[in-house]
Amino acid sequence: MKKKAISLLLAAVFALSLTACSAAGSSAGTGKGTLNLYVWTEYVPDSVIKGFEKETGITVNVSTFSSNEDMLAKVKAESEGAFDIVQPSDYMVEQMINQGMLEKIDNTKLTNIGNIGKEYLNPSYDPTGEYSVPYLGGVGAIAVNTAKITDPITSYDDLFNPKYANSLVVLDDFRATIGMTERSMGLSMNETDPAALAEVKTKLLTLKNNVKLYDSDSPKSALISGDCTLAFCWSAEIALAMEENPDIKIVYPDEGAYLFMDNWCVPKGVKNYDEAMEFINYMLKAETAKAVSEEFPYLNPNTAATALLGSSYTDNPAKNPPADVIAKGEHVQNLDTDTIAIYDAMWTELKK
Amino acid sequence: MKNQSKKKIGKASNTLYCLLIYLFLFLPIAVIVVNSFNATTAKPYLSWKGFTLDWYIRLFDNAALLSSFGNTMIIAAVNTLLATCIGTLAAVGMYKYKFRGKTVIDALLYIPVVIPEIVMGISLLTLFSKTSIPRGMLSLILAHITFSIPFVIFNVRARLAGYDNSVEEASLDLGANRMQTFFRITLPVLAPGIGGGALLAFTLSLDDVIISYFTNGQTMTFPLKVMESIKSGVSPDINALSALILIGTILLVVLTQRTSMNKKG
Amino acid sequence: MIGKKMKASSVSAAVMVGPVTLWLVFFVAVPLLYVFVMSFCSLDQNYNVVFHFTMENYARLFDINYLEIYVQSLVIAFLTTVICLVLAYPFSFLIARTTSRYKAVLYMLVIIPFWTNSLIRIYGWRTFLGANGWLNHVLISAGIVDTPLDLLFSKGATILGMVYCLFPYMVMPLYTAIEKLDRNLLEASADLGARKVTTYRKIVIPLTASGIFSGSIMVFIPCLGLFFVSDILGGGNSDIIGNLIERQFQSGNNWPLGSALSIILIAVTLLLVKLYQKCGGDLESLGV
Repeated sequence: MKKKAISLLLAAVFALSLTACSAAGSSAGTGKGTLNLYVWTEYVPDSVIKGFEKETGITVNVSTFSSNEDMLAKVKAESEGAFDIVQPSDYMVEQMINQGMLEKIDNTKLTNIGNIGKEYLNPSYDPTGEYSVPYLGGVGAIAVNTAKITDPITSYDDLFNPKYANSLVVLDDFRATIGMTERSMGLSMNETDPAALAEVKTKLLTLKNNVKLYDSDSPKSALISGDCTLAFCWSAEIALAMEENPDIKIVYPDEGAYLFMDNWCVPKGVKNYDEAMEFINYMLKAETAKAVSEEFPYLNPNTAATALLGSSYTDNPAKNPPADVIAKGEHVQNLDTDTIAIYDAMWTELKK
Repeated sequence: MKNQSKKKIGKASNTLYCLLIYLFLFLPIAVIVVNSFNATTAKPYLSWKGFTLDWYIRLFDNAALLSSFGNTMIIAAVNTLLATCIGTLAAVGMYKYKFRGKTVIDALLYIPVVIPEIVMGISLLTLFSKTSIPRGMLSLILAHITFSIPFVIFNVRARLAGYDNSVEEASLDLGANRMQTFFRITLPVLAPGIGGGALLAFTLSLDDVIISYFTNGQTMTFPLKVMESIKSGVSPDINALSALILIGTILLVVLTQRTSMNKKG
Repeated sequence: MIGKKMKASSVSAAVMVGPVTLWLVFFVAVPLLYVFVMSFCSLDQNYNVVFHFTMENYARLFDINYLEIYVQSLVIAFLTTVICLVLAYPFSFLIARTTSRYKAVLYMLVIIPFWTNSLIRIYGWRTFLGANGWLNHVLISAGIVDTPLDLLFSKGATILGMVYCLFPYMVMPLYTAIEKLDRNLLEASADLGARKVTTYRKIVIPLTASGIFSGSIMVFIPCLGLFFVSDILGGGNSDIIGNLIERQFQSGNNWPLGSALSIILIAVTLLLVKLYQKCGGDLESLGV
């Protein structure tokens, strides 16, 4: 009797595994090709990917990263062509172009490219526009839990106030957080002068006491759970946190904010180029971009989509950063390896 | 009289202490199981919003999660099979024969057991990238076998200590060849050691995080999928799956215990 | 007949030991050799590894920041080991020497939680200890505290996580060692008039020393590399050597430096193992 029970149990485990394996085999795709996607966490909705799979029959494999440097490391460590599409930010696009790591994107295949606002095409990090297609962008802004913090917070500099010891969540991203420190001192986020950087380091280290958590994956979690009352993180994360807890407010810093734009790129040695093009084109559709913004409310360069989104997008300062914030803001740029080494050393000292 | 009550207090405090330790061990399990019934809808899924069985049902719609679990099961099964075979053969061979380089092999065996997993992980990653071995199921299985073999060998060796060769010799004298002797005489004696090693290999494979983290390429295993979910908030269907796995393993252990106790009786 | 036997012997030997030898050489020795070689390599402008000999990576290891992280790792590992030992010893003693029918069950109950995925259990602690977590909810509802206790994302939380993860590795060797204690010895000691404390000090502890050593090694060494615990519970504030190494192989893009760090970690590990063996430890018992 007991032996029967064991065999039944083993059979159940076996069955569960078989279900799992068959789920592994058949996703929504009907075998008309595969696509290997490597994207930011919390950035491309599952529903959108499923929609693409249904429409085209292509099976999509998704892997995620939470910092540009992580992405670069993995793409280099894997064999060429392991990923068909990657999602670098502005400065990382520049770096990858310099290292010859990107394939050219055939814009003629992208029938929906016209949906992207003119001001976002041919950016400084990709002047010919041949290597990247803008996806979503935003601001590294400040979030305040006004129920717990009643003082007015208006600038990056405010975050360094010793009053806020052990209450801050910041991005686990050395360019972003060091950049934020540089902005708070009136310097550029791409400062290279070693003397100036020494001062940046001194100020950066004063932040250490205030930071409770370094999180680039889901900084809003700490805000929503109440573990942190102050944050420096992506604007859309703040927008989502605001929806969960109305006490949370977004603040754009006086000094001018950290701006970013993430892009679709195709790495060298891509194995499924046509499928990659189909995917990018699909993401450029107004309805798709609208669905993306509804789930991850970042700054959307797709003007056709923002027209569809209407006032829920345009009137929300967290989802749609005001024009003056964009004008005052600064993008992170590529730096030479010696300067990066200085930034890196600063970061290690901060995090120990 | 005083001694009696002292003893009673002593016993009570002992029991209390053990209960507290068990509480400590099972607390996160309780959290996982309770949260699997949590009707919460928004990340990070922390606040309690009511009771529901939804997640157990929705679990079977989550293809990515199920396929990662499937991958883990396949890897664990293949790993256990191969590691047990290689390890058992090796343990017996090393016990019987003396040859040069034995001490070197011994030393190499201890390395995966003793050094921190992170070093094993990165060294294997380095190997795979230099030799262009594709990262995915293959690299995962190779990595898992590597850290499992020593455990199999140590367990089998423990059984071999004090093993009496004479039965084997008798078998050979009676005309059986080496193969038959090995399978009919040696293996059954070693069975508990082999079983222990195999169980260890399977368990280590199921829960491996660090080594898999470096050698997986894009293949998702269950622990790695959990790691990814932790970043954005663990959705309760993962809790549901974990609860199911836990129940399954407990039942398996209870039943095997009962069977072996029955056999003894 | 004798001649035939010997020939068969060497073939059998090769068949039996061959696979594991090849495996160990190819998957253990060679990779570690690669790591060793890479620790002396440099990076070019594009973060690619080039075979240009340099001692720079090892020099960087003495960076003051890194030294502080080493110390922090050793402190965390030490505290974890001590806490595990202090908590586990009485527990293992009680379980190993119980005369209850359910002795085997009690032992299994220690192991069973570890069949659930370790990451999700650590995350369970996060849910429990958070500002709005279970513990704080209970404490606030019961009126024991007014504001939530700040327990998460601290060194203490990291140590808690490590202790939790490595607890059974301390219990198992202790249990094995304590079980072997001869009851007669303890009774003899009591009969001769020794108080309980003396019995423990002079008899129990020395005789279970092997268990104490095994357990300590099995907890201390992994502790140095368990980076995901400090990631999930420590908030990125209590980095250990494991985090340093992981970072160099991921976002830091500096494999040679990561390799140098790994070599140092291996060296420390081997040192500890040698120490363990000198104290009479048996290496094979570590794997069973």
